[in-house]
Amino acid sequence: MIVRRRLVLGLGLSTLMTLAAGCSDADLTGPIVYEEQPALTREVEGKAHLAGKPKIQAKARKALEKLYGPAPKEIHVPEGAPLTKDESGRLGMLLANFEQTPEGPKKLDHAGGYGLYRRHCLHCHGVTGAGDGPTAPFVFPPPRDFRRGLFKFTSTPNGARPDRDDLRRSIRDGLHGTSMPAFEALLTAAEMEQVVDYVTFLSLRGETELALIEEGFIGDDEDEDALGDDVVAELVQGVFGKWEDARDAVVNPPSPRTPPSPESVGRGRDLFLGRTKEKLECAGCHGAKGLGDGPSFVEVGVFNRVVFGGDPSKMPERVAKLDDKTRELWKQKLDEWGNPLRPANLTRAVYKGGRRPIDLYWRIAKGITGAQMPAHYPGIDQAQIWDLVNFVLALPYQPELLDEPSTAGVTAEAPAVRR
Amino acid sequence: MRYWSLIFALAAAFSVGAFAYAPFSADWWLPNPAGEPRHVVSTFGREIDALFVIILWLTGAVFVGTHAALIWAQFRYADRVDADGKPARPAQYFHGSQRLEVVWTIIPAGILVFLALYQMDTWANIKFRSAAPRTPVLAELTGRQFQWMMKYPGPDGRLNTPDDLFTVNDLHFVKDRTALIHLKSADVIHSFFLPQMRIKQDAVPGMTIPVWFDCDRAGRYELACAELCGWGHYKMRGDVVVHETEREFQEWQAAKLAEQGRSQLATAPGDPGGDEK
Ligand SMILES: [Cu+2]
Repeated sequence: MIVRRRLVLGLGLSTLMTLAAGCSDADLTGPIVYEEQPALTREVEGKAHLAGKPKIQAKARKALEKLYGPAPKEIHVPEGAPLTKDESGRLGMLLANFEQTPEGPKKLDHAGGYGLYRRHCLHCHGVTGAGDGPTAPFVFPPPRDFRRGLFKFTSTPNGARPDRDDLRRSIRDGLHGTSMPAFEALLTAAEMEQVVDYVTFLSLRGETELALIEEGFIGDDEDEDALGDDVVAELVQGVFGKWEDARDAVVNPPSPRTPPSPESVGRGRDLFLGRTKEKLECAGCHGAKGLGDGPSFVEVGVFNRVVFGGDPSKMPERVAKLDDKTRELWKQKLDEWGNPLRPANLTRAVYKGGRRPIDLYWRIAKGITGAQMPAHYPGIDQAQIWDLVNFVLALPYQPELLDEPSTAGVTAEAPAVRR
Repeated sequence: MRYWSLIFALAAAFSVGAFAYAPFSADWWLPNPAGEPRHVVSTFGREIDALFVIILWLTGAVFVGTHAALIWAQFRYADRVDADGKPARPAQYFHGSQRLEVVWTIIPAGILVFLALYQMDTWANIKFRSAAPRTPVLAELTGRQFQWMMKYPGPDGRLNTPDDLFTVNDLHFVKDRTALIHLKSADVIHSFFLPQMRIKQDAVPGMTIPVWFDCDRAGRYELACAELCGWGHYKMRGDVVVHETEREFQEWQAAKLAEQGRSQLATAPGDPGGDEK
């Protein structure tokens, strides 16, 4: 009898405990909080930081919390942020899963940008959008850190904020050749807008944080007025302004693509090889055969060994083992986020920023934000850009275009133009 | 104690009931078009389903038989005590029955051999390279972490030419026409899965695997990656659009090619950019 009673007790208890523990994800993951920029508390070489300024640090934290909410679960959207309004005109309401009401949090009838981001994006891009999610170390190129508002594949000028369409396109179609998948079949059009909004929200938040650090860096910790409300308001307006300006800065090629005649392709090839008076040096990076192995970059074999040859977190150690010259070159060929860059292999017909002629026009005319691909307009005119586009699009199908023995004129020294 | 057997009986009855109910529920039964839960859209789907149903009946009969025996034995022999309160028939050790072993080995083996022979034609029709239809390739599909990249031959009908059409997670073909694709993988093993057409084929790195299927209802279906290991394969969900006519397919392709060839945001001033959907 005792045995049976124990059995019943055990069964009952385990049922109760399962119920009590519930399935609340908060219990599984711990509190979800934004991560701070290291420069907020620590000294960062060559950059603005707030080390040793506890009062300004506290002010920056407070300002950030007031503007954007204390944690991802309590989103606050500042007045005037460049985000979509919901049907009732409330700004940024589509971001949250909960609405904060006087009676407490009220669940909204949609998943919300935050929920969608958490499900689909967070594991790579991280809670804060710092590109530091749990799967981030396993993908190359590494996921984007949103906190600077810089995105590589945009229709806007080099270094400018992306247009909404650019973000939408990246989410919908993915980035071919990277680990960013296409979400077209996974998200509805409305959900896609919410994700675009949430990514923008994380960028705005991150940019504001950086602006606060930069502003605080020149301030005196004892100064009562340092990082005052007016200053913060002005900084935030500056951050928003850049996003608002992007829409008007979108580059629309003034004339459609030149028909891809052999003549146009030939002119493009001459530009690629630097045989024209403009002395373009595409081949210096992209290689004399377009294989992405130009002499301006670290050799492919060395690159692969360092990037893919073992534990990703031990990459700095592998870099340190390189000889002086290669190590120096390595340092020069990092993107704005400090990740190693590789010029595209143009023979594979894989284009990260899209394969439409307009996408290639944008890449050539205005370069790639944060990478070493410089803007070529107005260095060459737009007809020449179309010639280059035609050449690039033809190359995968006509590798003989670069077969000629006389690829002389390709110089080893391509200028390391940034932005 | 003997009434414990009723619990087992209840569980068995519930299981049988669930299977009996399933074909009448669109959510429980195999995936078919929304309005026609009993209609399988593809030729192979009908064959596969017929095999599935045979196996279901066979295993169902065995399930009912074994459970009936189990429950009967539990009910019949539980709790029988004599006048002294001791078990009326104490448990005894014996070495088993060779005859019984032989019988219950031969019967399932026979069933398995029957199934193995019976399904051979279907398997050959669906999987043997020699059975691949002699039609031009509809598209080349490459699985990659984590999406399906598709390459259609374009108007010239040949792959790897400048007019190829590239899409992601977007498979299109024409109703009542066998579609032949070349399946590849760029990295790990993926599992190409068309649930409504009952087609499942692993995409293996280094191999080009022909896969063919058809569909007799125009509409929108689902493509998934059924690979189990790793969390990201769920992202490889794609749309499958079956067009009513070849013309409709060509129109879709032309529109996609036009977008792929886009060189300006807007051709006329005031046009708010064309790539918004
Ligand atoms: Cu997969």
